[in-house]
Amino acid sequence: MSKQSRENLDKKAASRRRFLQAGIAGGATLAAAATARAAGDPAITEVQDWNRYLGDGVDAAPYGQPSEFEAHVVRRDVPWLTADPVSSINFTPLHDLDGIITPNGVCFERHHGGTAIIDPAEHRLMINGLVDKQLVFTMDDLKRFPRENRVYFLECAANSGMEWRGAQLNGCQFTHGMVHCVVYTGVPLKYLLEEAGVKTNGKWVLAEGADAAAMTRSIPMEKALEDCLVAFKMNGEALRPEQGYPIRLCVPGWEGNMWVKWLRRIEVGDEPWAQREETSKYTDLLPDGTARRHTWVMDVKSVITSPSPQAPITHGRGRTVISGLAWSGNGKVTRVDVSLDGGRNWQTARLDGPSLSKALHRFYFDFDWDGSPLLIQSRAMDEAGFIQPTKNELRAVRGTNSIYHNNGIQTWHVKGDGVVENVEVS
Amino acid sequence: MLKYLKAALLTATIAAVAAPAFAGDPEEGAKVFRKCAACHSIGEGAKSRVGPELNELLGRTAGTVDGFKYSAAMVAAGEGGMVWDEQTLTHFLVKPKDLVKGTKMAFAGLRKSTDVANVIAYLKTFSEGAAEAPAEGEAAASGGTEVAMAEKPAAAADAPLPDHEGVFGLGRLATDDEVAAWDMDVRPDGLGLPVGKGTVADGEVLFTENCAVCHGDFGEGVGRWPVLAGGQDTLTDDRPVKTIGSYWPYLSTVYDYVRRAMPFGNARSLSDDDVYAITAYLLYLNDIVTDEDFELSNENFTDIHLPNEANFKEDDRAQEPQYAEKKEPCMKDCKPGPVEITMTARVLDVTPDSDEENTGGGID
Ligand code: HEC
Ligand code: HEC
Repeated sequence: MSKQSRENLDKKAASRRRFLQAGIAGGATLAAAATARAAGDPAITEVQDWNRYLGDGVDAAPYGQPSEFEAHVVRRDVPWLTADPVSSINFTPLHDLDGIITPNGVCFERHHGGTAIIDPAEHRLMINGLVDKQLVFTMDDLKRFPRENRVYFLECAANSGMEWRGAQLNGCQFTHGMVHCVVYTGVPLKYLLEEAGVKTNGKWVLAEGADAAAMTRSIPMEKALEDCLVAFKMNGEALRPEQGYPIRLCVPGWEGNMWVKWLRRIEVGDEPWAQREETSKYTDLLPDGTARRHTWVMDVKSVITSPSPQAPITHGRGRTVISGLAWSGNGKVTRVDVSLDGGRNWQTARLDGPSLSKALHRFYFDFDWDGSPLLIQSRAMDEAGFIQPTKNELRAVRGTNSIYHNNGIQTWHVKGDGVVENVEVS
Repeated sequence: MLKYLKAALLTATIAAVAAPAFAGDPEEGAKVFRKCAACHSIGEGAKSRVGPELNELLGRTAGTVDGFKYSAAMVAAGEGGMVWDEQTLTHFLVKPKDLVKGTKMAFAGLRKSTDVANVIAYLKTFSEGAAEAPAEGEAAASGGTEVAMAEKPAAAADAPLPDHEGVFGLGRLATDDEVAAWDMDVRPDGLGLPVGKGTVADGEVLFTENCAVCHGDFGEGVGRWPVLAGGQDTLTDDRPVKTIGSYWPYLSTVYDYVRRAMPFGNARSLSDDDVYAITAYLLYLNDIVTDEDFELSNENFTDIHLPNEANFKEDDRAQEPQYAEKKEPCMKDCKPGPVEITMTARVLDVTPDSDEENTGGGID
């Protein structure tokens, strides 16, 4: 064994000992803690390993990973939601994140035929149908079109879908984690359509994926020309395979299923195609047995990400930060209000960070917690004037079987000991 | 060019049916196994699902997992003395139906010989009896290949000139064959339907062979796999059953979807006539046609309407009461008295760690 690696091992052993000691200290009595404080915090008074021994050199991780102390910040799934892991979902750990950008490795996944692994050299994008010239582009071709960078949220239409019948999943990762927000780099779909020349009767496009589900969705031409993007980068690096490498479609503000991954074809037509994902799925059943279709826009929505069931308050009473996310498929979020008493009284929260159209917005509410139980809620408003409704308002018109588009106000019950639970209120 | 080479290699593999040329990498094999995981489980506590569990596979006689319902063909192969080893597995995984004629494993086969070797290496790690330890030299050699493949030469100089006028002059014209290969969508008005036909009776045979393992003999769904038939008049129930017969608006969607995505894990393996026959059978299972001799074709396709077609309407969420008024939200004393908790997540504790039955609504 080399000297270097032996030192690494020794360091690991030392830090494990320290970790155990810390655990014992944590369990010790208040008196002991007080003595320790009198003598000074060992985190300060003792020379720490990382202060004495050299760390890893630059080559230790050619592609960097989060700190080992962040190993719990991962996507998680709920196996019983779907029939099979190959056509399933997992959820973004919203309760552990901050700001408005989601790191690539924890963006939730939903696919219908597993993750396609595609060699970009073998990938093609075809444009066919009602165009002057049916064209084929390679990845190299696509990278010669003018590019744009845009920050957008992507939310699955079924996000919070399990909550229609009442509080179910105890964690904001599971109730709201089918959303992420990254900066995309790509080519406006408009340029590709212009290159092919859309015929005057071309009113719809069909986007198709190259995966084993050959995912397809119909999109009105107006939207395709307005702001759809054929993206090849997310947060500056190539798309992750599970997000559609080498290219995916961005359909800003609209339901995630339309953001076809592994995009291989755009067809232009004069009518929608009524594909499986716009008939059997992604249609919203109402109590009278009729169903809405083409419910594309993701309505104004918000959720408190911390405190939440997976992120309880551990510091006791006193200064407390409520942190949350708000978004709207209609544009910018203009205001978020927070209630501590289950929606009786509201105070306006502070939006912080960039406020971008069809992107996640971060809000904070800083207050002194007196240690009494709270019923915390957030309520977002968007620039189109829509206000996030309560879950009961939604149920009154839509019943409990519409699966998709549940943007109702979420309530977390913060108990006196700081434990948080998903609840429904009167 | 590369494609033809690959095809040639594949043919060679099948013809030789020899043990793989190099020792597989179990870690790579784990990735390949994702293709199998739709149907098979392996490792501690593995149970038979659509396919038999695959622990202790190497050295096992074919068709012998207790309690699993094999095809007669697989049982016969086992009784004939077939044992799973590198050679039989290689053949089976490349062309399942070639080695065991009549097997009910609805899987097209692996196309790359490296995938075959790797997945066998992976299967071996769950077979105690199997020999281990790939030769050191080979591992080193494969490491070397990776480095060699890292950079492909740039070919900037011979980029062809654009073959079309355009704003940017990028891309090239698609050939008719290329468009035909990918443009397989079918619309409610029949646009995109290929010429072809198939009967309910033919469809029954095909469905039983290719679909019933997951969707059930009568489309009733096995376990949590999707239900395809029944559910008529349940859309206003507490638990609606949404099927082709009870919910789907258009028959074209059935044809389109089965042709593009089914059978799950072996998409695009059915002929156009097969898909007509299966679609006819799905109509039959949903009582929309009643005659077993009924033949569905591109000629009579658009005559058929599904019962729920009229019950879809365009998005009118903006007219719902909570949105329509766009009034200023209430800020003070918005509810009469102190707010009560009416339900907690624990009442329906379906957090991912619990083993309880799903009592809530799924998303699918
Ligand atoms: C679509 C479902 C499906 C997929 C995907 C699938 N299998 Fe199977 N497999 C089956 C079924 C069903 C059987 C039983 C076949 C029979 O009885 O004829 C089977 C049988 C087998 C057997 C014989 C086991 C025995 O006990 O005799 C092996 C080995 C096997 N599969 C390996 C694989 C591997 C490896 C993969 C992935 C490369 C794979 N299968 C993919 C469904 C599947
Ligand atoms: C290995 C299991 C499996 C087999 C075999 C299989 N399917 Fe499926 N089927 C699925 C899964 C899983 C889905 C849902 C896929 C998704 O989530 O996108 C599905 C979805 C469907 C749907 C849409 C259901 C809905 O309500 O939207 C139809 C129709 C269908 N399959 C028909 C078939 C036909 C016809 C065959 C045979 C040719 C077949 N399937 C074979 C697993 C299977």
